[in-house]
Amino acid sequence: MNTNTVTASSVPAVSGLDRRRFLKHAALASAAAVAATRSGLTPPAQAVETDTRWDKAPCRFCGTGCHVEVGVRDGKIVGIRGDAKAEVNKGLLCVKGYHVGMILYGKDRLTQPMLRRNGRMEVITWDEAIDVVARRILAAPERFAVYGSGQWTVAEGYASQKLMKAGLANNHIEPNARLCMASAVTGYLSVYGVDEPAGCYDDLDTCDVLILWGNNMAEMHPVLFSRILERRNRGEKIRIIDFSTRRTRTSEFADDYLEFRPQSDLAIANGIAHLLIRSGTYSKEFVEKHCAFKTDTAEHTLDGRPISFADYCRELEAYTPEKVEEISGVPAEKIRMLGELFGRKDVRITSVWCMGMNQHARGTNINRLVHGIHLLSGHWGRPGDAPTSLTGQPSACGTAREVGTLCHLLPGGRVVANPEHRKQSEAIWNLPEGRLNPKPGYHTVQLFEKFCTATDKGGDIQTLFTQVTNPGQSLPNLHKLFKSKQGLEDKFLIVCDVYPTATTELADLILPAAMWVEKNGIYGNSERRTQQWFRMVRPPGNARDDCWMTIAIARRLFELGHPGMKDKEGKFLFTFKNEKGEEVPVWEWERYYDVNVDRALFEEYRLFTRLKHKDLAPYDEYVKARGLRWPVVQQADGSWRETKFRFMEFDDPYVKKGAGIQFYHSVTKDDRAQVWFAPYELPPEVPDAEYPFWLGTGRVLEHWHTGTMTMRVPQLRNAVPHSYVEMHPSDAAEKGFKNGDLVKLKTRRGELELPLWISGRGHPPRGSVFVPFFDERIMINDLTLDAVCPVSKEPDYKKCAVDVQRGSQRSARPPGPTI
Amino acid sequence: MSVSRRNLFSKFLRPLQAGSKKAASTVGRAAAAGGSGESSPMERTNQVAVIQGRFCLAYQGSFCSVCYERCPVPNAIQLNEGVPRIVLEICTGCGVCHDVCPAPENAILVTERRPGFGA
Repeated sequence: MNTNTVTASSVPAVSGLDRRRFLKHAALASAAAVAATRSGLTPPAQAVETDTRWDKAPCRFCGTGCHVEVGVRDGKIVGIRGDAKAEVNKGLLCVKGYHVGMILYGKDRLTQPMLRRNGRMEVITWDEAIDVVARRILAAPERFAVYGSGQWTVAEGYASQKLMKAGLANNHIEPNARLCMASAVTGYLSVYGVDEPAGCYDDLDTCDVLILWGNNMAEMHPVLFSRILERRNRGEKIRIIDFSTRRTRTSEFADDYLEFRPQSDLAIANGIAHLLIRSGTYSKEFVEKHCAFKTDTAEHTLDGRPISFADYCRELEAYTPEKVEEISGVPAEKIRMLGELFGRKDVRITSVWCMGMNQHARGTNINRLVHGIHLLSGHWGRPGDAPTSLTGQPSACGTAREVGTLCHLLPGGRVVANPEHRKQSEAIWNLPEGRLNPKPGYHTVQLFEKFCTATDKGGDIQTLFTQVTNPGQSLPNLHKLFKSKQGLEDKFLIVCDVYPTATTELADLILPAAMWVEKNGIYGNSERRTQQWFRMVRPPGNARDDCWMTIAIARRLFELGHPGMKDKEGKFLFTFKNEKGEEVPVWEWERYYDVNVDRALFEEYRLFTRLKHKDLAPYDEYVKARGLRWPVVQQADGSWRETKFRFMEFDDPYVKKGAGIQFYHSVTKDDRAQVWFAPYELPPEVPDAEYPFWLGTGRVLEHWHTGTMTMRVPQLRNAVPHSYVEMHPSDAAEKGFKNGDLVKLKTRRGELELPLWISGRGHPPRGSVFVPFFDERIMINDLTLDAVCPVSKEPDYKKCAVDVQRGSQRSARPPGPTI
Repeated sequence: MSVSRRNLFSKFLRPLQAGSKKAASTVGRAAAAGGSGESSPMERTNQVAVIQGRFCLAYQGSFCSVCYERCPVPNAIQLNEGVPRIVLEICTGCGVCHDVCPAPENAILVTERRPGFGA
């Protein structure tokens, strides 16, 4: 057999033998076992390495929350296999997941703290580094901000939250989830009064119709999509309807591919509601029992304005199928088909979405409308009848949304502006009354605007501390929101990360971090599933846990006399005791693992989770499980039971007996969900004579987000080595472009050159181009628009106006740093 | 198809594959066959590519279509419901699919062309 693989010699951290075993006995052993199980054959005997220890962990990449088994020998990861015990993925992984172990072993891991002195990065000690951070904070605590991530573990996010809001009374803390999930959150809040999906992945196993609202599931949530296609292989009928602004890998499997013009999903959803009303096929029973009505207003608030059912119907009158066709380009007959489908009681319909609906100039509204057609039609509340958002990050739900690491939130669904919520939080944190700051901090786009504006011109964020994220590549309109930091002498950027990135390029202080199974962790996936893992290998060099950094900074502030670092009894905010009841100085790195800090922080955080019925079980329950979906409620026999379907009496213990369905966090306090009307509105920027094309951005299957991890895995990098622009063949022919030609994209914000890929993986319609954002040498976010949804403050990366011209022929190599 | 998919990636592929003899030889041969590597069809060799289903991600129910997308020879690899299939009669044996296969164990075997195997 030909074993001469492309990559066999390119991973220095793993020896040849380790590498061969990694490939041979790990990943594919599991894939083959899955296939064999599916075809009814006995799985082949798996090669067991007697000296390899296997342990469970959720995958480090997307929000699906697959579990992997990690094989460790001699302090190194030597194997990854899909975890057959995990309900989410049942042993299957995607191409990224099989390689997740390799992300630790890129040859340029950051291993030493580094401080910029006279323009050069110099290695310093951890003591110095922590002291630098603490003194920057101390000099101007209110001008300090933290920017974290949906890849923060629960403990990391919780510790940061506590340092900022409880310790510094400073609400300038945001996660990158603002760029990703914020519109889903405001959608859930304004419809149900509480965040996160009521359903779960089980809906995918029972629905008859799956509607993908701008969701390229085959590439973005491939294991979930496999789970659906697997039903087809078993002979089940499932109809897939793919709404999209370009043809994708997902479209190939769809029964109906419906291509709409950017932003016109608003009109389509209204068109479906219009037909349900007009034909009288909406569910009168469901509406009378469970729904109230609201409309968006000119001010675009979270609360909107209550309206009557009659008013609601009147608002929809204009959205006839013909009108919707005119706006969206989707044929009127298809709109009628959807109206009829939602009007049927004999099918179960699940809608899923991700960035297509969230990164949307009216993201909150499109979320509201999709919930609305499910509620109106009564396709809600049975397994398989559900509107469900998917997340793109492994703990966007678990950390950003639940711990509440956003500028207006406190843990467990509380908001800083609510005096009662502040009081409850002060009680749990044992703080003096009035410590917490009632004024929300800056949301992400605002935060970076303030950081990149000179202090004397109102830029009142001076020190920014980032963890587990790469805003230098992922923010929109990078020239404005990131690169203009350069030259502002009093601004100080602290970046905790594992590899050099576009963000570390402008860092004044770099802190090398441990990643994934180099530390203990807890993540929460898209379906409310909280997942735990233990540290399995040591981080390289002097890299350390993000959570430790936060605690060490807090301790240094405590030593320097910052009064906020003490609770009301004068005790340090992060005080941990071992089993003997002795305090352990975990801010000393050598002592950090003397207690399980994750467990201690999680148990403290759990106290916050009851208010919104997001109850979490004790830490040790998660050690045993492949994740549990909240609310996890203790049973009479002492066991802990997860909840698959919220608000539904048959499964959710918090629903009143006999209620059937109860929206017990209703914003109208009457157990009703809100059905919203919101109009179709033009996006903030549309193509014109100067910038005649639509530009959309997104991910590809092989790379995750900004590619800092996946571009260091040789197989993944080889598979998709660089970014490109997709264009319709007729547009390309008109311009005289051939496949592979360098073309220049230009928007009002920036320009770049990149190769053209015609008839490749994605197929944009005429007048539209698409560019993935993973490639740090081709930074498409130099071009994207920083306009945000007025409610969620989430930017729209999916549409802006761009001009496409022939590129200069001087070089086919993209500029920028090499990895 | 007047344009070659190889054209798109080849310029960028070269530095990334420095560590691989196989890849270097592939690219070198492409350059020899087509001059600058422009859209000329590749020469047929005495080799042929075969997908080993037990290693192929798409065969396992995971999504992958890299070989299909990157194959420089029109129609040599076809995709049926997401699963790639090599048409041995069209395959020139250039080995690009092997070079780019991202499966943990490379799923593409480049083997001698013989009766029943594209000969």
